[in-house]
Amino acid sequence: MRSKDAVGGVVMLLFGVLTGALSLQLPLGTFRAPGSGLFPFALGALLALLAVLYLNSLRRRGSEAAQPAPAHWLPPLGRMPAFLAAIVAATALFVPLGFPVTAFVLMAALLRILGMKRWGAVLAISLGTALASYVLFDRWLQIPLPKGWIGL
Amino acid sequence: MLESLQYLLTGFGVATTPENLFYCLMGAIVGTLVGILPGLGPIAGIALLIPATFNLNATSAIIMLAGIYYGAMYGGSTTSILINVPGETASVMTCIDGYQMARKGRAGPALAICAIGSFVAGTIAIFGLVFLAPPLADAALAFGPPEFFSLMVFGFVVLSNVTGGSLLKALMMAIVGLIIGTIGIDPVSGDPRFTFASTALLGGIEFVAVAIGLFGIAEVLKNVEQPIEQLEQAVLVPRLRELFPSLRDLKDSLWPILRGTGLGFGIGLVPGPAPVIATYASYMVEKRLAAHPEEFGQGAIQGVAGPESANNAACQSAFIPLFVLGIPFAPPTAILLGAFLIHGVTPGPGLIGEHPELFWGVIASMYVGNFILLLLNLPFVPLFANILRVPKKVLLPLVILFCFTGMYTVNNAVFDIWTMLAFGALGWLMRHWAYEAAPLLLALVLGPKLEVAFRQSLMISHGDFGIFLSRPVSLAFLLATLLFLAMPLARKLFGVGRARADGGAAA
Repeated sequence: MRSKDAVGGVVMLLFGVLTGALSLQLPLGTFRAPGSGLFPFALGALLALLAVLYLNSLRRRGSEAAQPAPAHWLPPLGRMPAFLAAIVAATALFVPLGFPVTAFVLMAALLRILGMKRWGAVLAISLGTALASYVLFDRWLQIPLPKGWIGL
Repeated sequence: MLESLQYLLTGFGVATTPENLFYCLMGAIVGTLVGILPGLGPIAGIALLIPATFNLNATSAIIMLAGIYYGAMYGGSTTSILINVPGETASVMTCIDGYQMARKGRAGPALAICAIGSFVAGTIAIFGLVFLAPPLADAALAFGPPEFFSLMVFGFVVLSNVTGGSLLKALMMAIVGLIIGTIGIDPVSGDPRFTFASTALLGGIEFVAVAIGLFGIAEVLKNVEQPIEQLEQAVLVPRLRELFPSLRDLKDSLWPILRGTGLGFGIGLVPGPAPVIATYASYMVEKRLAAHPEEFGQGAIQGVAGPESANNAACQSAFIPLFVLGIPFAPPTAILLGAFLIHGVTPGPGLIGEHPELFWGVIASMYVGNFILLLLNLPFVPLFANILRVPKKVLLPLVILFCFTGMYTVNNAVFDIWTMLAFGALGWLMRHWAYEAAPLLLALVLGPKLEVAFRQSLMISHGDFGIFLSRPVSLAFLLATLLFLAMPLARKLFGVGRARADGGAAA
């Protein structure tokens, strides 16, 4: 059995069971007058059933022939965690910092993470992007964006 | 028939006001851009531009957003030909012969044939749309909740079956989408569901966030996980005077373009990622019919002309189920359905009667849009192609910043950005586990409609499930669904197609 397939199947099974269990706290109603819990309960049960069928098909396929080296259940990460962490931080700081500052910091961080070495280029591109997007969104399209402590 | 032409003329009156011409042009430009940029497809493109339409009337908004969809079909081929990477999924087949043509110094004719084929296909397909949509809408007026329920179930199963991977996995994704769609206020009883006492979840999960997460953020993350040196690619931008195809090129392309148009139009009417399937089908047909099939893969112009026409025709005819049934059969039209609803218009059998200026205006704008796109993609293609010279380490952060800001502007809510990021990470994992994102998104958009149809049907029949079987149209859809489900099972029983199933799961 290939491990990434199995992990995916188990996640589906758990999600189905969880949905079914949470739906039981809602009124199920009757078929004549279905309550708000009936549809999600049916979906959760169906998902769990399909996941069991899927896991079963994996087991059969696995026992039939030797499989190639199992693929790891996580993809190779590379720069992904740092990249994602920078976006998460920007989301958390969006309102307190305001749009222009967040855009500048986020761009600079992502450029560095992706391997842009010269600080001059990083700062120039980030500053240019932050200014251009500020003019575009705030001044031209007049979309209300968080102003933050610098009040722009 | 004559009546349709008359309405179409009024539609041109709507489409050619300076305001709507401007939005049509904007849609075409943005569509070409998202088509050219690998990693940003029409789905994320439409979703990101929805906030920009908030101040517009519904007609202008749909004109622009629809333009992004069919515009992306034009732009995608440019990237395929010049750097052998599909600009969006419907130009995968174009890479094969398009890039070979470019390597032999024939990038110009390849790009030109794409633009010409797309224009011919788009124009013919809109003609089909004009004549097919009104009678279909009349027929669909008789549909009640049971018919819509069965039709949607049919759509899900067909979509899950044709996306290429494992049917079970695709069905699971559709159900996950339906479950996510139940979060928020129950549309029938008004009870909150799965909100965990959070007011942000009361309104449900924002589908724009899911779309941008699964189709924008996830794609960027996928790129970031690769070593950075592999990201950059050499681009050969052709000059304007190299663009003209020879007479022989045109002659060789004529029939592939027409066949691709026919194939694409038909496939667009069926549930599934129509443009993608249409390009594949067209490529196979052209290869089989070719006088020199051995030239395919070595730079045969037929292998570019056919698929590129097919994806445009499919993209235009995919508007038919959206307009007349109110049921999108693939993610880009699902996003458009969301845009319709945001602007207070419900597409469906009644659309043509209730909003004639919108329906005919949008269709007429497609003619205008195709013409604009022909101009953008012939003389201006060298200009657009320069975008591919922007290094990815600059492009990816720009895409992220655009998604980030665009997402916030939908509801002015930071919560939506969190949702987008969560679905971005989920989409990235799903790719690795070989799960399709399309069924999830479609199910999320259609879920509430499906549930309402299901519960209304049961209320009509006083709890009798027989209602889905006793109405002939509903029964027909359910039988067709059963047939689609039985096909892979039958294949397995008779021992054929095992290799295909395994290959699909690994892909």
